[in-house]
Amino acid sequence: MPGERRNLRSNKETSSSANGGKARSNSQSSSAKDKPVPTRSTSSKSKAAASKKATTSGKDGSGSKPQSNGSEPVQNGVNGTNDVDMVDEDHETVNANGEADEEMTVVVPPLRNSNPLGPKDKDSHGDIAMDNADQLESGEEEIQQIDPKIKAVSDIKANYALLERAVTHFDARFTLRVLRSISSIRKYLSSDLLAQVFTETYPATNSTAKALLAAIGKEDASFNSPVTTSDMDPDLHKDKLKSSTAAKDILPEVDFYLAILVQIYLYDTDNVEIGSKFSTNLVEKLRTLNRRTLDALSARVYFYYSLFFEKLAPLPPSPTASVVSIRQPLLQALRTSVLRKDQDTRATITTLLLRNYLSTSHISQADLLISHSEFPATASNNQIARYLYYLGRIRAIQLSYTEAHEHLIGATRKSPSTPSAGGFYQAASKLLVVVELLMGDIPDRAIFRQSSLEHAMQPYLSLVQAVRVGKIDGFLNVVQTYNTAFRRDGTYTLILRLRQNVIKTGIRMMSLSYAKISLRDICMKLDLDSEESAEYIVAKSIRDGVIEASLDHEGAFMKSKEVGDVYATREPGEAFHERIQACLELHDESVKAMRFPMNQHRLELKNAQEARERERELAKEIIEGDMDDDDAGGDFEGM
Amino acid sequence: MSTSKLSDILSQLQKSSSSPPQKITSLLSSAKRELLTLDALLPRPTTPSPILLLARQTLETGALLSIRLQQPDAFTRYYQQLLPFYELPDSSYQTSTNDLKSQRSKVTGLYLLLLLTKGDYAGFHTVLEGLEVEQAGKGKGLEGDEFISYPVKLERWLMEGSYDRVWAATKRDGVPSEEFGVFSEVLIGTIRDEIASCSEKAYPSLPIANAKNLLFLESEGSVVSFAHGRGWVVKDGRIYFPQQQDDMRTEKEILVASGQVIENTIGYARELETIV
Repeated sequence: MPGERRNLRSNKETSSSANGGKARSNSQSSSAKDKPVPTRSTSSKSKAAASKKATTSGKDGSGSKPQSNGSEPVQNGVNGTNDVDMVDEDHETVNANGEADEEMTVVVPPLRNSNPLGPKDKDSHGDIAMDNADQLESGEEEIQQIDPKIKAVSDIKANYALLERAVTHFDARFTLRVLRSISSIRKYLSSDLLAQVFTETYPATNSTAKALLAAIGKEDASFNSPVTTSDMDPDLHKDKLKSSTAAKDILPEVDFYLAILVQIYLYDTDNVEIGSKFSTNLVEKLRTLNRRTLDALSARVYFYYSLFFEKLAPLPPSPTASVVSIRQPLLQALRTSVLRKDQDTRATITTLLLRNYLSTSHISQADLLISHSEFPATASNNQIARYLYYLGRIRAIQLSYTEAHEHLIGATRKSPSTPSAGGFYQAASKLLVVVELLMGDIPDRAIFRQSSLEHAMQPYLSLVQAVRVGKIDGFLNVVQTYNTAFRRDGTYTLILRLRQNVIKTGIRMMSLSYAKISLRDICMKLDLDSEESAEYIVAKSIRDGVIEASLDHEGAFMKSKEVGDVYATREPGEAFHERIQACLELHDESVKAMRFPMNQHRLELKNAQEARERERELAKEIIEGDMDDDDAGGDFEGM
Repeated sequence: MSTSKLSDILSQLQKSSSSPPQKITSLLSSAKRELLTLDALLPRPTTPSPILLLARQTLETGALLSIRLQQPDAFTRYYQQLLPFYELPDSSYQTSTNDLKSQRSKVTGLYLLLLLTKGDYAGFHTVLEGLEVEQAGKGKGLEGDEFISYPVKLERWLMEGSYDRVWAATKRDGVPSEEFGVFSEVLIGTIRDEIASCSEKAYPSLPIANAKNLLFLESEGSVVSFAHGRGWVVKDGRIYFPQQQDDMRTEKEILVASGQVIENTIGYARELETIV
């Protein structure tokens, strides 16, 4: 039945828009096509923002975001703080979404009130509670645009409701929403603000509150009763919320959410000492709890935990670095998370451990970790990108360039495209370029032309040019000039391995341009020491399949063979096959990635039923009209 | 008191380089037993620094001696045991005297060379990467260390194919210390095999006199026997290498190829059907 089928298709489309991807265009097109009501487009847009995983789909956020300050965070990334940048990126993306939310509420203010009724009729694919949450927050945003600090406080408190909902509905998406909102709050975090939040949240006797206050150095803050503050904002939701938190015990999720805020505050203010101690205690506490709704939060706790220890002296390259001391707890946490099927924490800790091992260049340990543990396939995109990067790095060191290349391609493709995540993208691209060179390929010129990479990739561009020409002199010059840059990027040893590739490229060029050339000339052109060396090197290249040629020892020359026609071989077919395979995989993966709301099929069935009835009616009308087919009712779709 | 016993054995060992292998082996195992009673086979935070120093020295001596005895497996074990000692910061040893300085670079260099002769390039680069990062932290390059730079240079020449340089480096005066000389024999064997396999592909034929130079062999007689060993044809003072016929596409291969194409195309059709 085509009618039914089309219906299903349009549903799919919209739900894929909810999934991120091309949210913008899709939601617009679907709203234009299906229903003219503007509510629809807002709802699906805000939902796209909500269910988005902050990474690949960063595109729709950045669309509304001015990119003028793009170059500055990228500069930061050059200094090897790529992981920090990745966190920042989370925040930035969400920021963009926050802006989008605000914009939307400004554009269509009157619809906001009607929205709570809306979902039932307008939203054939959505999660009602989610939309409500959206409204709740954007409503507050609108009211309190005047003072960002008050807004931050209320945002923090609004998140309690989301956390509560996450616990009661057992839905991790609410928790993810909370974590994403951290970015907008982050800018305004201060010890005063946090102290205010804590004193308003906890009763005075609460030990958690005391610990939190001690961490930000505000032990003396007085606990005022929550009622006084709620006078300031007349928002109805929040009063309800206040009474509910006061009545019940405070959820551990809220505890940890606030603790994460403290961690971020301490990290932003460079209180590494205190931060590491606070995080250690936090991790201890976390291990005693076994709540699935904590998963996403605990992943974040471990992330900052490890970040603090990275900053503690002695710093990583030395074998006594303080990061070494957290390997044991991290490994324990990994084990626990595997047993509890806690995918978020598992993915985060795996990448943290890899980073930890690589920072002290314990490559064999990192390799063992990879071979003995399995990375969860459902991990968030950021974690996958990180994991692939570390994997690619390890494989590159172990000389399995093909594998490394595959992983690094994955990492660069999955890396978030927001300017603030430029650090990661740069690091991955640098490594990718080097690995491609090591494989004997010349990287595409377009890689270096991207605005986010242009400056950072400058040394690598000269490197590629040197390798391409095949002059050992020029290559050594480049290595000498950019010595420090390469060392800082950790690509120096890999680049030193390129030497043989330079020579091979040189020989290849000569083999292509001369039918016959004496070993003396080769020796001179490649700046080699002796003809004997040249002879051995050419012989090795012939054996390795770099060139098609033969040597004549008595005549001391190299004679190139005729180059075969590549189109007569199976190679083009294989390349074609590979590409088609990749496309098909992409299709499969995107089908798998689609998320369908619960109970959707019932609605669909209802719709289908209605459609069928409509069709029948239509058919009846046609029959009653001037047509005289008697089978039109039964076999309508034949028309 | 057991410390003195261990240092006794150690001094015996250090003088024993010319003793028969059995004696060295028995001395080494008794040294290890002593280490075990001192609980110093693995460094712990509580281990006092003189014992740490002694343990490290014992293991280093053991490593160097096992190289001399040509026991690569034993050497690898010693190297692995030494690693945790090398990870410790210098401060835990508290030495001021120069003669007790760690022989780390020598042992590591030997280990690198061992990996190289075994053809374990992945392991070689993994170890090297670790060293590089550590050295960069201290602000000096690896190139300055003769024990480390020796295997590094050898690897570079082997990879690019400058076998004549490898040959020169394995001669007596090119080797940084006598322990490294142990590997020379193995290395020459490796490069000879490499050159042979390269020559098979690169030359249609080669005069025996030239082959002698190319393969670093002493006499033409050994060239002939080497050629026979690899199945080369020796005729009229020239070596003819067996030609490989893999260029010719056989009928069967084409059949296989077309089968592949058909299979792929059907696969695409099936996939398309599921999509549409």
